Amino acid sequence: MKTTPANKNIRRRRSLSRNDRFTLAAFIGIPTLMQIIFLWLPALITIILSFTYWNGINVGDIKWAGLANYRNIFFGTPVFYEALKNNAIWLLWFTFIATPLGILLAYQIDRKIKGHKLFETVFYIPVVLSLAIIGIIWNFMFQPGGFVQGLMGRDISNAVSIWGNYSINTYVIMGVASWRHIGYIMLLYLAGLKSVDPSLREASAIDGATEWQTFRKIVLPTMRPVNIIIVVITIIESLRAFDLVYIIYGTSTAWPLLNILVFQNFAGQGISMKGAAYAVILLVLCVGPILLYLRSVFKEDLK
Amino acid sequence: MSDATNGISRRSVLKGAAIGGLGLAGGGSLLASCSSKKVTGDVHFTIRGNLSDAGSKINIAVNDAYTKKTGNKVISQAVNSDDFQNNFVQIMQGTPDDAFGWMAGWRTNARADAGLLADVSAQVKTLGSTLSAAAVQGATNPADGKQYIIPTTYYPWGLHYRKSTMTELGLNPENIATWDDLIKLCEATQKKGLVGYAMGDKGGWEAMGTFDIINMRLNGYQFHIDLLNGKEKWTDAKVLDVFTHMGQLIPFMNKNFLDIEWDGCRDLLLQKKAGAMMMGSWFANDFLAKSQADYDDLWIVPFPEINPEHGIDSIDAPLDGVSVAANGKNVEGGKDLAEFWGSKEGIDAAVAAGDTSIYISSEFDTSTYDAFNKQKLAVLGAAKNIGFFLDRDTRGDFAGPVVGPALQSFLKNPKDVTKILENVQAQWDALPAL
Repeated sequence: MKTTPANKNIRRRRSLSRNDRFTLAAFIGIPTLMQIIFLWLPALITIILSFTYWNGINVGDIKWAGLANYRNIFFGTPVFYEALKNNAIWLLWFTFIATPLGILLAYQIDRKIKGHKLFETVFYIPVVLSLAIIGIIWNFMFQPGGFVQGLMGRDISNAVSIWGNYSINTYVIMGVASWRHIGYIMLLYLAGLKSVDPSLREASAIDGATEWQTFRKIVLPTMRPVNIIIVVITIIESLRAFDLVYIIYGTSTAWPLLNILVFQNFAGQGISMKGAAYAVILLVLCVGPILLYLRSVFKEDLK
Repeated sequence: MSDATNGISRRSVLKGAAIGGLGLAGGGSLLASCSSKKVTGDVHFTIRGNLSDAGSKINIAVNDAYTKKTGNKVISQAVNSDDFQNNFVQIMQGTPDDAFGWMAGWRTNARADAGLLADVSAQVKTLGSTLSAAAVQGATNPADGKQYIIPTTYYPWGLHYRKSTMTELGLNPENIATWDDLIKLCEATQKKGLVGYAMGDKGGWEAMGTFDIINMRLNGYQFHIDLLNGKEKWTDAKVLDVFTHMGQLIPFMNKNFLDIEWDGCRDLLLQKKAGAMMMGSWFANDFLAKSQADYDDLWIVPFPEINPEHGIDSIDAPLDGVSVAANGKNVEGGKDLAEFWGSKEGIDAAVAAGDTSIYISSEFDTSTYDAFNKQKLAVLGAAKNIGFFLDRDTRGDFAGPVVGPALQSFLKNPKDVTKILENVQAQWDALPAL
C-alpha cells in the first residue's frame, strides 16, 4: 500500500477505528505499565532504600541513614575497589580483546574462508549456554579433582591452583567469559555483514582498496547500527557480570564483582541497605555511558 | 545487641548436655502425653545439602519414620546449604517449607526477633527433661526467653586425622599438648610428602574454625566472644598474635587452599593425602558412607594448648536442630515434625540410617556410642566454654561480608595483616546498631 507523504497522516488517522485505537493503547499501555511496575518502581524503591538501614523484613523498621551506606562503601570497604577493578578489567578485556576477536571471526566467516561453516558452528555453540552453565562446566574442568587436573595427573593435594591463584585466575575467568562473548559478537556481526551490499565491496576492490581499507572505510561505516548494539552489549555484559563468578566462588567475594557485592549484601545477612547502595552505584555506572553514547549517536543521525 | 548476653549466658551450656547425654541414657519417655491432639496434613521439609550427601539420606529416613508414625506425608527437598543461608530472609518471607534443619545462635535468634520463625517452646516443653537444661538454654532466644529451634545434635570442632596415616608415620597426635607439638607434627607429616595442615577456604568460612580456636586458646573464650561483639578491638595486639600463630600454619597447608572448600579438605583426609585437619566432625557421616573401615580410622583430638592460662578450656561446638517457618502452610505440622526430630523415634530413625552425630536428647542411648562418638564426647567434655562458631557468634553482616574475606586476604598475603585488621575494625565500626 503506497501513499504519498501528503495524505499519509490523514489516511492513518482515519483508518484508526475505535477497535484499532484500543488495540494500540493496549499494546503500548500494557508493556509500559509492566515496565513501570516491574522495573521503574523497584528501581526507585532501591534508590530510596539505599539511604536507609533496614533488615528487609518489617517495613516499620526502616530507619533513615542518609549517606552512611555510601560512605561505608567508598571509605570503609576495600573489597568495593577490588570489585570495581575486576569490572573494569572485564570491560577492557571485552572491549579490546573479546569483541574485536568476534568481529574478526565474523569478517573471516563472511568471506567464506575454507571451513567457515565449521568455524561458525564451533564458535556459536557456547552462545546457546547461559553463563551459569558455562561456570559449572569450567569449574568442573579446572577445580581440584576436576577433568583438566585429572589429565595433568594431579589429585586434590597437589592440584594446580587455578581459581585460588591470584596471578592467573583473572585471565582464566576472562578467557572463559570470552569463550561465549566472542561467539555472541560474531553472530551479531555476521548478521550485520550479510546486510552490507556486496556491490560496495566490489566497487572498493575495483578502486584498488586493500582488505583493511575496505573494512575500515566501507564495511564499518555501513554497519553503524550493529556497531552501536555491539558497544552497548559489551558495556552492559561487563557491568552485569555475575553468574559465572557466582558459580565458581559463591558469595565469598574471593573474586569480587559489583553484582556479587549487591547479592552478598542483599542476601538478608545484614541490617543496612548497603546492597541497595551497591545496586545504585551499578545503575549509575550502567546508565551513564550508555546515555552518553546513545545521545551522541542520535545527534549525529539528526544532522 | 542480643548476642552479647547470649554469649555469656551460653557459657558452658553444652557441656551439661554432653554429661547429660552420657548419664541419663534411657530416661523415661514423655512423648505419650502429646499424642492426644492430632496434627494432620502434608509437611514440607527443607534439607540443607545435596541429595546425594549421606546427611540428606538420614534426613529423609527421619521424615519417612514420621510419616509412618503419623500418616502425615513429608515432602522433602534438598537445597544447597549456602544458598539457603544466603537467601534465608527472602525464603522465609515467601512461601517457605514448614520445617528445615537449622542452627542455634545468631542465625536463629535474629530471625526469630524479626518474626520469621515459629515459637516451638511448647514442643521443647513436651520433650521435657529429655533435653538437658543446658541444651534448652543454648536454644533459647535471649530477647524473649522462647525457643525457636528444637535442638537435636551438636558436634565439636577439633583436629581430625586418620589413625592409620599417623601410625605409618610413627606419630601420635594424642600426644600433641602444645603449639610446638602441633608444629612438629605438621613438619613431620609434610616431610613425608603429605599435607601437614589441610585447609580449604574457598567458601570463605572454613578458616574461621582455625581463627576461633587459636583466639580462644591464646586469649580465652571471653575475649573471643567480646571481640565478636565489638567489645574488644581487632587492632588489639592480642588479635595480631592470633594471626601470627595462624601464619605459622600456612607453610604446612596445601597450596591450593583457596581452590577447595570444606569438602575438598575432607577428601584430602579421606584419600590419605593430609595429616591433620581442623574441622567440625559432622563430616564423619561421609567417612561412614564411604566405608566402615574409613570411619573406624577417623579420630579427633582437641586443638592443643597455646596459653597455659586458658589451657584447652574452650571449643567451638555448634548446636543444630530443626526450626519451623512462621509463614509455612502447615505451621502446626512443621512443629509436630520438629518435635519428632527431637524425640526418641526420630533419633532412632536417624541412627538406623547411619547417623554418627551426637544427639542432645537423653533418649539417645549412649551405650550404642561407637569409639569415635565417645572420643567426640571426651573432646567436648575437656572444654568448659562452648562457642557456636564465628558465623553464629557474631552478626551476619559482619561474619560473611567482613571476616570471611579478611581471612582469605590474610591467607593470601600474611604480610598485610596489620592493614587487614585495621580494616576489619573499621568495617565493624561502620556497622549500624542492631
